[in-house]
Amino acid sequence: MRRIRFHGRGGQGMKTASRIVSTAAFREGYDTQDAPIYGAERRGAPMAAFTRIDHAPILERGMIAAPDLVVVADETLFDDPQAGVLRGLQASGTVLANSAHAPALLRERYGIVPALAVLDFTGLVLSHVGSLAALSVALGAATCRVAGLCTSSVEQAVQEELEALGLSADRIERNLDLARLCYERVDVWLPVQPAAVPAPVAVPRPQVVTLTYQGPWRGTPSVAAPANTPLRKTGNWRVWRPVIDLARCTQCWMCFVSCPDGAIALDDADTPHIDYEVCKGCLVCVEECPTHTIHTLREAEV
Amino acid sequence: MSNEPKAYRNIKDLAREELILPGTPLCGGCGGLEVLRLASKVLGERVVFVNAAGCFTLLALFPYTPFRGSWLYTTMASAPAGAQGVRDALDILRAKGRLSPEEDLQVVVVAGDGSTYDMALSATSGTLHRNLDYWYLCYDNEAYGNTGMQQSSATPFGARTATTPGGAGGAVDGLLGKKDIFEIWRAHRPPYIATVSPRHPIDLARKFEKAKQLKGPKLFLAFAPCPTGWGYDPARTQAYARLGVECGLFPLKEAVYGEVTHTYVKRTWRPVEEYLRGQGRFEHLFEPVRQEALLHLLQEGVDRYWAGVPR
Amino acid sequence: MTRELLTGNAAAAWGARLAEVDYVPAFPITPQTEIIETLATWFGEGTMPGKFVSMDSEHSMLTAAGAAAATGARVFTATSSQGLLYAAELLYTVAGWRVPLVLVNVSRALASPITLEPDHNDVLAARDSGCLQIHAETCQEVLDSILMAYRIAEDPRVLLPVIVNLDGFALSFTREPVTRPSLEQVRAFLPPYSPTHARFTAARPMAQGIAVLGGALYSFFRYQMHLAAQNARAVHGEVAQAFREAFGRRYGLVEGYRLLDADYALVMSNAYATRGKAAINRFRAQGIPVGLLRLRVLRPFPALAIAAALEGKKAVAVIDQNLSVGFGGITVAEVASALYQERDRPPLLSYIGGLGGKDLSDAEFDQILQDLQRNADTGHVPPPRLLYTEREDAQTTAFLEVAGKGTRHVE
Repeated sequence: MRRIRFHGRGGQGMKTASRIVSTAAFREGYDTQDAPIYGAERRGAPMAAFTRIDHAPILERGMIAAPDLVVVADETLFDDPQAGVLRGLQASGTVLANSAHAPALLRERYGIVPALAVLDFTGLVLSHVGSLAALSVALGAATCRVAGLCTSSVEQAVQEELEALGLSADRIERNLDLARLCYERVDVWLPVQPAAVPAPVAVPRPQVVTLTYQGPWRGTPSVAAPANTPLRKTGNWRVWRPVIDLARCTQCWMCFVSCPDGAIALDDADTPHIDYEVCKGCLVCVEECPTHTIHTLREAEV
Repeated sequence: MSNEPKAYRNIKDLAREELILPGTPLCGGCGGLEVLRLASKVLGERVVFVNAAGCFTLLALFPYTPFRGSWLYTTMASAPAGAQGVRDALDILRAKGRLSPEEDLQVVVVAGDGSTYDMALSATSGTLHRNLDYWYLCYDNEAYGNTGMQQSSATPFGARTATTPGGAGGAVDGLLGKKDIFEIWRAHRPPYIATVSPRHPIDLARKFEKAKQLKGPKLFLAFAPCPTGWGYDPARTQAYARLGVECGLFPLKEAVYGEVTHTYVKRTWRPVEEYLRGQGRFEHLFEPVRQEALLHLLQEGVDRYWAGVPR
Repeated sequence: MTRELLTGNAAAAWGARLAEVDYVPAFPITPQTEIIETLATWFGEGTMPGKFVSMDSEHSMLTAAGAAAATGARVFTATSSQGLLYAAELLYTVAGWRVPLVLVNVSRALASPITLEPDHNDVLAARDSGCLQIHAETCQEVLDSILMAYRIAEDPRVLLPVIVNLDGFALSFTREPVTRPSLEQVRAFLPPYSPTHARFTAARPMAQGIAVLGGALYSFFRYQMHLAAQNARAVHGEVAQAFREAFGRRYGLVEGYRLLDADYALVMSNAYATRGKAAINRFRAQGIPVGLLRLRVLRPFPALAIAAALEGKKAVAVIDQNLSVGFGGITVAEVASALYQERDRPPLLSYIGGLGGKDLSDAEFDQILQDLQRNADTGHVPPPRLLYTEREDAQTTAFLEVAGKGTRHVE
């Protein structure tokens, strides 16, 4: 069985990517299973999806805990412990990542041990289709290549999935070009093998414990700690970082007032400071600043 | 509530302190959250938010809470009834000497349009009928948001939702359009009702401050532009809030014991089309062909409303 | 202490009054309305300090009840049947908040067809919710159970809502002698409710009833409810002991009637158990060693007490005044689960009787006895039976004729 886990942000199309791979494999005669995993999170927040491919009916359910291939649409997710991008991936596994950086740099920065294939899918997408939503097709096609699926299956899957999403024939055609391109560019190949010998169980077995009565204080689903959401560090949602040019700022308060999350605080001189630990990068402040004093930077380049 | 009311003249009169902290799972650019954040600056820390099922239910997700105040999640249909229970219990505990006055709290229902316009009508009407002393804040993003933007009875005519893929409203004769929840509430003659917008913080702050002086139900209908549901770049949330008001689509008004006053009136409003353009949910009104009849209907609806407002 | 004639509903209202409840959100439904009418009067005239409020529905009523309890008040409410089911979501919700309250359910059979008379499908529909359940046989027991229920519910080892069930009509509107303790006596038995785990105050903000994502976390909290309910067996024992010392009346998780030396046993619950006891006396007068096991606390389910009570019996007949359509009696299945691991478990005979308040005649009890005896002789276990007599059948047929459904007419 090939167990592929996709990691991206809501809106980056990893659900569609997982479906493209699943559909391609299914059309090629494999048994497959795919699903997205949403947290409570929304657009911009980390999410995951998975695809299982096998030669026989798949007797597994739920999130893949031990993937052999991890596909990462957004490299900033490597830094986010909540996203758990590499969780359960053995050293013998493979990572396919979307980044403009060299593999060596990513390895060093994020401590990636398994085999790593890197491509600037974003760059390809922006130059060939123009919409970042097409990351789904780019990564989906590349993953199909890694899984050893053939081009015709990939094309069929892209066609089917994009039709289901209601895209025009025109746009589907451009996406198919993108798919072929990404398929060709990837040079890792780990086709789905029929199971000859049962795979050794690498995941340690958890012990089943006996729960005891904890009393009402601990046993009730309530929160007594005051206002602790900053611990969640939603700064990891950002794709674009707003930066205030403090020299040009007129201390008008508009950004402070406009931030829906309250991530901007004013100091004693009324100067605004963005808390990058929690700023989601919605960029309302950029839009609302009357003197256009806030500019943006690609988070991946910071 | 015997304090001298605070005057709000410009945005620098708003409290600096955040009473709802960042780090929640809500979408970046959530118009509803902006309203709640601004409102909380006026309401203060001594509140208990009573919530109905919707996007905001995820504000408090174990083990986290963003609030300096308290919170109780109830059900989708009965947050106002929950507010009844909390308010009554606080009053009883005070009367019996089991809670000191400094420990008392304001009770604030926070609910989306899905709950407010439909399921919770019975519970809400009950509290209005009983003149419960509480606040009600509806963040209206014009669909059942938390479940993926299905049509609610707050969905405006013409909007595409997950269950109205062709645009809300039937044939031209069979208009559906938004239920007028403001009028439904107003029929009960509660002490205070107001519409508020996230892009109009002074208007909002004044209204909350004014309501503080009144005892009984104080209801707020908040325009909550929703990037995820309406299909636009989150950065434009405030821009759409402003357009909604400037196009006359979202009237800023209040009703004190049923008497209506508009707090923002213009001689001429900008064309509704300026608001509709750029929102994914209205894209079908422009592409592949302009739906003149539907656009006309939408503009007409707005014109008709303002024609009925005394100058 | 006063001894007087009280209906079940009046006894319930007195239970709430003596427990000095702070808050009663209410909504009317037959056959409980007398309870809330009585309480409305007492709150209105100032006899009971606190608040009574008429709500817009049972769903709202139970929300208000739970929210007030979560704020720190002692709460009482009452409903039946359709109302209980309308509020069903809240039974699970409020139990999950881990706040105590007492909800009196005056049992009434469920629509459709819509009716007014009692059976137990309504209260048993709540059995998975996390609310504890005590079922009363007499008006005395109604009052007593409410007092005990507050002490059990508010115990930090429990902190779950308790449903006290009494049969509509058979108890709710029936007067019988009840000894009413004095307020001073009850105060000595029942301490005030002073929670620390669930309150709303300015000094200590709390987020209650919040969302939990993640199966392991959800499992933890849900299972804590179950552990709390399990604790309630021991807590009930302590509270019953204290109750006996204070008031002289004795209650267990179950009640055995002439059961110890019996060969056969009937298992029943609620007001019809009285009928069962009368049948036992009749059989005993004929020299037949039959006894009755009355189920009183349904949640937490007293498996050990049931197994102990039925140990060594030759045969047991369970009369379910409820019906799980497509399955059979609910209680018989739960009793079977209590007996399953016992090496010498007795055969269980299953009877559905008293649905919609249907009468249970001597003849029907005789039928049960006959089956029990035949089982003892031959080992034959009859299939589950609906208790329904020839006369009733004839009556039904006649009514069907009147309704135009007779056999003479072509459909």
